[in-house]
Amino acid sequence: MSEFLASIQSVVQMVQDSETSTALRESQYVWSLFEVAHVVSMCLFAGLIVMMDLRLLGVGNMQTPFSQLQKRLFPWQMLGMTMSAITGGVLVFGDPMRFYANIFFWMKMTLMVIAALNALAFHYISYFSVDTWDSKKVPPFGAKLAGALGILLWGFVIVSGRLIPYNWFQNN
Amino acid sequence: MLQPYFQAMNDSWVAKAISESLWIYPLDQAIHLVFLALFAGAILILDIRLLGMGMREQSVSKVARDAWPWMLVGLLGLVATGIPQLIQNAMREYYSEFFWIKMYVLPVALIYTLTVRRMVSQAEEGRVNPGMQKIVGLVSILLWFGGVAIPSRLIGLFT
Repeated sequence: MSEFLASIQSVVQMVQDSETSTALRESQYVWSLFEVAHVVSMCLFAGLIVMMDLRLLGVGNMQTPFSQLQKRLFPWQMLGMTMSAITGGVLVFGDPMRFYANIFFWMKMTLMVIAALNALAFHYISYFSVDTWDSKKVPPFGAKLAGALGILLWGFVIVSGRLIPYNWFQNN
Repeated sequence: MLQPYFQAMNDSWVAKAISESLWIYPLDQAIHLVFLALFAGAILILDIRLLGMGMREQSVSKVARDAWPWMLVGLLGLVATGIPQLIQNAMREYYSEFFWIKMYVLPVALIYTLTVRRMVSQAEEGRVNPGMQKIVGLVSILLWFGGVAIPSRLIGLFT
């Protein structure tokens, strides 16, 4: 196990030492451009996810049937997700050792996986019967649960992402 | 002119209390971002609709009415979590050009959102032509993102 981790760490270190990664990390303007773009894409992605989750909870955007809201926001959410993933990936590439050793980074990654599983579960369970509750004032329990979990999980993704610069638990 | 006030904030007991805690300031920054997501979502859902995209099957006025309360919740949350950051960092903010860009554009964006954008988006269907709606949506995005959100992020990156 420790051998395995050591070999991963050496790969991460290799990326860290590469010319492109170093150049990215040392260019204040390019680095800042990606930081800014990452926040803007987060606004598009998380913002429209929250708008949809509020509808699932039965507390927001209630004048629009859920399926219509979902269908129309989906391409924008995917655009936001793609932009977040690309800009985030570039930032990780630009300073991999820092993220590799950071508990909040791994917390964020884990929460993102759970949030994705929540979305998948909703898609295959409650969304299956959307025709029966599409315009109802009170969505079924499964939909509400998915909405509440969505807001909580993505909220904590944002919180753990913001805490990455505070490496209180780093022991090296 | 405002320097003494910023200095006073910088030296206040509030700033001291925040800086003595390991957690308060980082958590405040993190919650600020969560409210940013809520606020941006409520702004964008309508701006995208004004641009003639997104929720096209729904009328602009209904999208606007539904988004309104969440926009206000997001805004209040941003202000409530933003003020402690300003107090804690008062002198850094005072010397940051990006902070002042944000502070000049913020009232403009706010007034624009509460007046022009609100009237145009809540007008009866057909009273505002689509071209005008597009301009109103685009100006909103430019003000909030170009003038407020992006400069905000740059404060911390260029100090």
